[in-house]
Amino acid sequence: MSSATKASRIGEELWKTRVDKVNAELVTLTYGTIVAQLCQDYDGNYHEVNKQLEKMGYNIGMRLIEDFLAKSNVGRCANFRETADMISKVGFRIFLNIAPTVTNWTSDNNQFSLIFDENPLADFVELPDDGRAQDELWFSNILCGVLRGALEMVQMQIEAHFVSDVLRGDDTTEMRVSLVRYIEDEMPPDEE
Amino acid sequence: MSYYFTILSPTDVPLFNIAFGTSKSGGDGIARFRFPDTAQYMNQFIIHSSLDVVEEAQWMNGNMYLKHIDTYPPASAYISAFLTPSGARFLLLHQPPQLPSNSAGAGGSMSGSLLLGSGGSSSRASASSVAANPTSPQTEEAVRQFMTEVYENYVKTVMSPFYRQGMEIKSSVFRGRVTAAGRKWL
Amino acid sequence: MAVFSLIIINKAGGLVYQREFQPGLRKLSTNDYLVLAGTFHGVHAITRSITPKLPLAAIPNPPITPTTATTPSPNIASPSSTSTPTPSSSSASAGGYTYPNPGVPATGLESLETDKFRLTCFQTLTGTKFLLFTEPTMANIDVVMKKIYELYADFVMKNPFYQLEMPVRCEAFDRNLQGWLRGRA
Repeated sequence: MSSATKASRIGEELWKTRVDKVNAELVTLTYGTIVAQLCQDYDGNYHEVNKQLEKMGYNIGMRLIEDFLAKSNVGRCANFRETADMISKVGFRIFLNIAPTVTNWTSDNNQFSLIFDENPLADFVELPDDGRAQDELWFSNILCGVLRGALEMVQMQIEAHFVSDVLRGDDTTEMRVSLVRYIEDEMPPDEE
Repeated sequence: MSYYFTILSPTDVPLFNIAFGTSKSGGDGIARFRFPDTAQYMNQFIIHSSLDVVEEAQWMNGNMYLKHIDTYPPASAYISAFLTPSGARFLLLHQPPQLPSNSAGAGGSMSGSLLLGSGGSSSRASASSVAANPTSPQTEEAVRQFMTEVYENYVKTVMSPFYRQGMEIKSSVFRGRVTAAGRKWL
Repeated sequence: MAVFSLIIINKAGGLVYQREFQPGLRKLSTNDYLVLAGTFHGVHAITRSITPKLPLAAIPNPPITPTTATTPSPNIASPSSTSTPTPSSSSASAGGYTYPNPGVPATGLESLETDKFRLTCFQTLTGTKFLLFTEPTMANIDVVMKKIYELYADFVMKNPFYQLEMPVRCEAFDRNLQGWLRGRA
């Protein structure tokens, strides 16, 4: 648990000293508008909207990771569990001021869930009542892309998707993150 | 006391309406207007007819809550109004079960649990009851609390990215919250 | 205490940024800078791969710093060392040899010094390399490096029109970098 505590401390410190704050409604409304516009542009094809959000997040993640590293000055994580703590306690903390719970590890330590008790992106949101959005749209899907993009830049290929969302009437908002592999393109040929 | 609440857009398009009865003094929260069930549109006529008064009253002072602004004696319907800064109007029609002069003496005839299907009086009047007197300070205050709470929820609802300005409010969450506010204050 | 120039190399070994901060430096041609970047990228990878390993029996001993240009650093790491969750299992599969300090991954060339200048290399976890040419006596290069990384994150990575891995042409980055270095001198 020490890596989690350490991560909490780093996140707390950065949040207090290094992070510029903006009005939460500005973020919420901006993001909401983007999603609503996408839904309109894609004519209610929510699978496509999910895909676009993920792609947008991916591009954000690839850039945001540098900011994360430059600010936090943390070293490489020794294992995926440590990575999960960093994501939750430092990453989400400094960018959204939340710290989703890391839980539901598989026994091989390659998959975990993030439970979002709060989600600033989804404040005020009520999904369209067209009978499909409730089943098809993952409103905060951009976050999956952010994680994928950010971790890819630090040599981790992951897959992330939401499995439940309070917006859909579920009890919790849960994202499932699975490590696919460590990317080793820079690996010297003689390594094990 | 029975209530009919409606939200009108700045261009007088109805965005939301709901009818409910009092929950105070043993009320069961079910609206029982004096019109026959076939004439519920009367509520809408009466409430819309007060819009002229709202337009006059809105310039009288800077408050958002305009208090009781209009009465329609034939149905003993009382209208209270609340303005949002963006120009939406919240109108609440309240109608006592009997004429206000009678209702003071009609207290205690039945308890709320026995009211199902009785169609008549739904309030057990007492001096401090909201239902007793539509123009009393207590009622004004209760309506103000109700309006304020609805306003807070209205703001949250129209902030939903999927709500377009001027669109009917279909959110069941909002309806639930208005019902809860009605139960709490009226 | 002067900073002479800065070179940024992307993770594929391509030159993406090059600036001088002092007048009177001999210029290289663009092509030479590209070759320099590519060459350094290769040398860096080689220095990392020749990091000596110790027999497993030596692990209980205190970590011994290898005598090459390579110095273990917590901030710079080779991706290979993270390929398995625990360092000990990776060393086992390496046939009984491991890095001197298993918790700290091997890194490549970090600094190179001549009479007239010092080259300091900082590789981020994402693989981007910052090469800073300074006077050999200059202290606190890590502070300068960290600030440059922050400016890079702010004005390059957060510029929505900057394409990743492409040459950096961000006027705001130039301006802030030069302003900060000048203010420091």
